[in-house]
Amino acid sequence: MDMNEEKSGARKLRCDDTSKCFELLESILDGELGNPGKEVLKEKLAKCQPCFEHFHLEQAIREVLKNKCTKQAVPQELAKTIREKIQEAK
Amino acid sequence: MSEVQRRKYSQEEKNSIFDGEFMPHIDSMYNFAYRLTFDEDDAKDLVQDTYLKSYRFINSFEQGTNAKAWLFRILKNSFINEYRKKSKQPAKVDYQEVETYYNSDDVDFQGTTDLRAESVKDMLGDEISNALNSLAVDFRTVIILCDLEGFTYEEMAKILDIPIGTVRSRLHRARNLLKEKLKGYAQHMGYKTDEEE
Repeated sequence: MDMNEEKSGARKLRCDDTSKCFELLESILDGELGNPGKEVLKEKLAKCQPCFEHFHLEQAIREVLKNKCTKQAVPQELAKTIREKIQEAK
Repeated sequence: MSEVQRRKYSQEEKNSIFDGEFMPHIDSMYNFAYRLTFDEDDAKDLVQDTYLKSYRFINSFEQGTNAKAWLFRILKNSFINEYRKKSKQPAKVDYQEVETYYNSDDVDFQGTTDLRAESVKDMLGDEISNALNSLAVDFRTVIILCDLEGFTYEEMAKILDIPIGTVRSRLHRARNLLKEKLKGYAQHMGYKTDEEE
């Protein structure tokens, strides 16, 4: 009984076309496919283990990139220098 | 930058556009410039040049359109035309050569189980940053524009002067390369990957 239940709810372990699927998943994560994309995503995450894992990995990478690679401190005087140069050019 | 001047702004309008729409993006512009040049002084010069150009050509900016994308396009063009030569980077990467090489299915990232989301979350800022910085400039750029700055594919196509299809495929390849780098770090740092099990 339990086995059957698990089987029916389980995701397939192999994805037939990872290259195409992963590119599609990335476009969905990038918000490029709008609401239809969300439906495709829901179905893929429910049915395909490689897609499920790829999605979570991609999401984690996006998160760390955004949190850890955008903190380059702007030199304090830069904005002031730019304004001065523009005044000179006027 | 469009050569067509849509209209002439008054001095007051110019100042208002510059202060209200251009200057608020200085943090993102500097971050982009720094990740292109890897040098604080070059990044400063690049941002400064970009803002001076943006003011000089302000009449070709259409109010209500995306100022950040417009500025990024100027910065990227300035980088290619003026800074790439003198910056401390390796020689210019040939677009076509890179595209063709990585178009092969052989380099597609094989299975996500090689690198785990948990390992990525545990990585330090330096590791992520180094992995990103180690990518060739064309691949690095699409990741910066998309993941760090949140531009859409359409905006990226305009900034980079390439078709949307190329944006999508270059991003996919860039991410595969980034994952390979991260996998290398994960193994080196002793994070858990399936290969070690």
